[in-house]
Parts: sequence; C-alpha cells; structure tokens
Amino acid sequence: MTSIALFRKDLASELRTRYAINSLLMFIIVTISVILFSIGNEKISDYLSGGLFWVVVFFTAMSGLARAFVSEEERGTSLLLQLIASPATVFSGKLIFNLVLVFSMNVVIANLYTALFDAFVIKNLLLFSTAFLFGSIGIAISSTVIAAIIAKAGSKGTLYPVLSFPILLPLILILIELTKMSMDGTAFEEGYIEVAVLICYDVIMISASYLLFDFIWKD
Amino acid sequence: MESLVSFLSSNAIYIVLIIVLIVWVGVFGYLFMLDKRLKNIESEMKGENK
Amino acid sequence: MIWKILLFLIIAFVSVAGIAFPIVEKPEFWYQFPLIPGLEENAKIIFFHVPTSWLTVIAFLMSTIYSIKYLRRKDLIDDAKAHTAAQLGMIFCILATVTGAVWAKFAWGSFWSWDPRQTSIFALLLIYGALFALRSAVEQEEKRATLASVYSIIAFVTVPFFIFIMPRIMKGLHPGSADDTHSGPVVDFKMNSNMLLIFYLSLIGFTILYYWMWQVGYKSMIYKDKLNKQF
Repeated sequence: MTSIALFRKDLASELRTRYAINSLLMFIIVTISVILFSIGNEKISDYLSGGLFWVVVFFTAMSGLARAFVSEEERGTSLLLQLIASPATVFSGKLIFNLVLVFSMNVVIANLYTALFDAFVIKNLLLFSTAFLFGSIGIAISSTVIAAIIAKAGSKGTLYPVLSFPILLPLILILIELTKMSMDGTAFEEGYIEVAVLICYDVIMISASYLLFDFIWKD
Repeated sequence: MESLVSFLSSNAIYIVLIIVLIVWVGVFGYLFMLDKRLKNIESEMKGENK
Repeated sequence: MIWKILLFLIIAFVSVAGIAFPIVEKPEFWYQFPLIPGLEENAKIIFFHVPTSWLTVIAFLMSTIYSIKYLRRKDLIDDAKAHTAAQLGMIFCILATVTGAVWAKFAWGSFWSWDPRQTSIFALLLIYGALFALRSAVEQEEKRATLASVYSIIAFVTVPFFIFIMPRIMKGLHPGSADDTHSGPVVDFKMNSNMLLIFYLSLIGFTILYYWMWQVGYKSMIYKDKLNKQF
C-alpha cells in the first residue's frame, strides 16, 4: 500500500461523511463572527488583525486535524493499517491528507478574512504567500504528529491544543512577524531571515516526526 | 544588641541575606535527610534479595 | 560526603557574596563588584537567575537524552530518570520565571512585557506543563513512557528556536539581546574577574545541587515502583 493510496482512501471516506470539512467550515465561520461581534464598530489596528488571522488559523487547525488518527482508532482500523502498511507510509499518507486539509482551510480563511476585515491589507503579497505556504506546511506537520500521539493516548480531545500549542508557538510567532512585515510592505529581501527560520522549522519538524513516528505507531 | 538592630534596619539587604541562608540550610538539610533515608532503603532492599 | 559539604559551602558563599558584596564604581578590593551601566544594583540577580534558567535547559536536555535512551532500550528506569529531570526542570523554570519577573519590575518597570526571553521561558513552561498533562492522561506504563519520550524529543527540537533564534531576530530588553547597546553581553567583558569567578561558582554549585536532587528523585521513583510490584 502506498501513501498515495492511503491518501485516496482518507479522501474518499472524508468525502462520504464530510465530517472534518463541515466542522472546519463551521468553526471558521463561528470564530470569525465571534471576532467580528467583539470588535463591533470599533476600528482595530492593522497589526491586531494580522495577529488575529493566525489565531483563527491555529484554533481551526486544532478543531479538525486530530481526526486523521483519532478516526482510525475510533473505527478500530489502526490494527489493520499496521498490518498492511509500513509506519513511514502511514505517516506520509496522513501528512498529505492533512496538508491538503490545512491548505484549503487556510485559503478559505484568508479569502473570508480579506473580505470581512478592512484593516487586513497585504501590501507585499509575495512575502505573505511565502509565509502562508510554509506556515501551512509547518502546521500540518506538527499537528499530524501530535494527532498520532493523541490517538494513542486514548483520544483525549482537550489534550490536543495543550500539546500542540508549545510546538507551534515558534511558528506562529514568526508568522505574525512576517504578516506584520508584509502589511507594512517591506521588501522580500528584508524578511529573508524569518523565511529561512520558517523553512528550518518545517525541515526539522518533518525529519523529527518522520523518525519518531515508528515509536508512536507500533506499540 | 541595640547597635545590631539599628545596623540591620539601615541595611535591609543583610536581612535578605540571613533569610536566604536560613532557606538554604533548610533545603540542604531536607535533601540530606532524604538522601540518607534513600540509602537505608537501598541497603535494606539489597539485603532482602540475598 | 565531601562533595556535599563542598556544595553547601559553595552555595552559602555564593549567597553571601552575591547579596552582600557592594557594587562600586572603581573596584579596589576583591569583594567589590564593578558598576555595569544600565543595570547597577540590579546586576546582582545574575548569580541566582542565570543558574536557574541554565538548569531549566540542562534538565530539558537530560530529559530528552534519557527519552532517546528509553526509546532505544525500552528500560523503564530511563523513563524514571527522564521524568525526574523534567520535574526538576519545571521547578527551576518556575523559579527562573518568577525571579526574572520580579527583576523586570525594577529594571523595566513591569513584571511582564513579552520580551523574547520572557516568551521563550513561557513556552518552556508550557512544554513542561503539556508533558505532565500527557503523562497523566495515559494509564499504561510502557505506553505512557513511549508517548512522553516522543513528545519531549519533538518539543526539544523546537527549543533552539526559542533560546537562540527568537531573541536574536526580535527586539528585546533582556541583557545580551541583539540590539542591547549599553549592557551588552554582560558575561563577556563587563564583569570583572571576581564577579565572573562567583558567577561560575554559582553555576557549578547549582548544577551539582540539581544533579543531587535528580539522583534522589529518580532513585526514590524506582524504589517506589519496585515496592509496588512486590506487594
């Protein structure tokens, strides 16, 4: 069984029930409307709206991404998966699925956000899309490996954001910094170090989780 | 005695110093006691195994 | 036995020296510290705050090393060692946070101002908290040890971002930050030799203290497990 086949299987079962997609969409709408209600008629600063964007992304990711492994444990199919696929295959298949999910989720959030918030104006689109791309990849990687830990820990739902937040914190801080920069319209060269740190984070996280996934998966 | 009190009230840092030293003696004594007890348990358990 | 007495004397001496030795503009005697502009009397915290934050990182490193060992050999003793190191790390992390916050009140004007260093120590606190939350969530011993080991390794690879990269790319107030002009890298050249000597003595003393506490901690944990299995 290859990772692409696993991804297809996940996608097919997801499209049949639409559990994750629906809950993610509803969660996005709920969070954004809560923010809009609490702002009311007040003007918020540009930087604050940039930071709130990543808050929405983080909490939406926390609400839906644990499904990848928890659903396998719930349906009792993880043993079967252990038999027919190697841990590396399982990990990469789940990772591709989460990547697609995070990426489409973030695109939806970004579009809704630009439509609803006047203060959220990106001047340097190239810098923002680079940050967006590598940020989404980082969120997908970290949340996949934490989801695997959560699933083995007896799928405690509240534990997921608790475990993910410290891991994602450096990523989110750099992303907020980069969003501020792209809202100011700084040149791409000036944000070079931050982008490099972002790519570093992605590479380190993917290699660490790839190596450690074996131990989580087969116990 | 009188001079010591007036000296301490004008140099409050020495009161801090005395308190820190007392706390350190307490922490050290506690750790020391724990270590001793642990060694006793260790020797007892080794004796049982024989 | 000798090193315990030595440890007692080192920390007692560091406390006396660190608190009571005066800071003067031109140090003449061996017991006088130089004045560091921008820090003044506040500089004395270096003897107590830096060792605790140093131990926070060392404890995390040790916890990770024993986690790797556990994953290799599946020996529960290694897990007990990693767990004790994390517990001690949590204690020292809280101490470093509190001493830093109290110091910041007098040096910067507020207890907490989200300086990069404060952000990183806060993240470390969160990591330790998450590690204990994960441990308490799993019942089975081997599973708990495996999951906690994996999580502490994953958390450890993010630590360099906090400790080394963040304070350098973000602007900060902490002495030793990237844009700090007047109190610079304090350790390098602003301290004179006696201050450096006491600083290193303090580091050594606290490290020995940590090692001793760690030994007592993990041994008691192992014996407790053994006794539980016997009866």
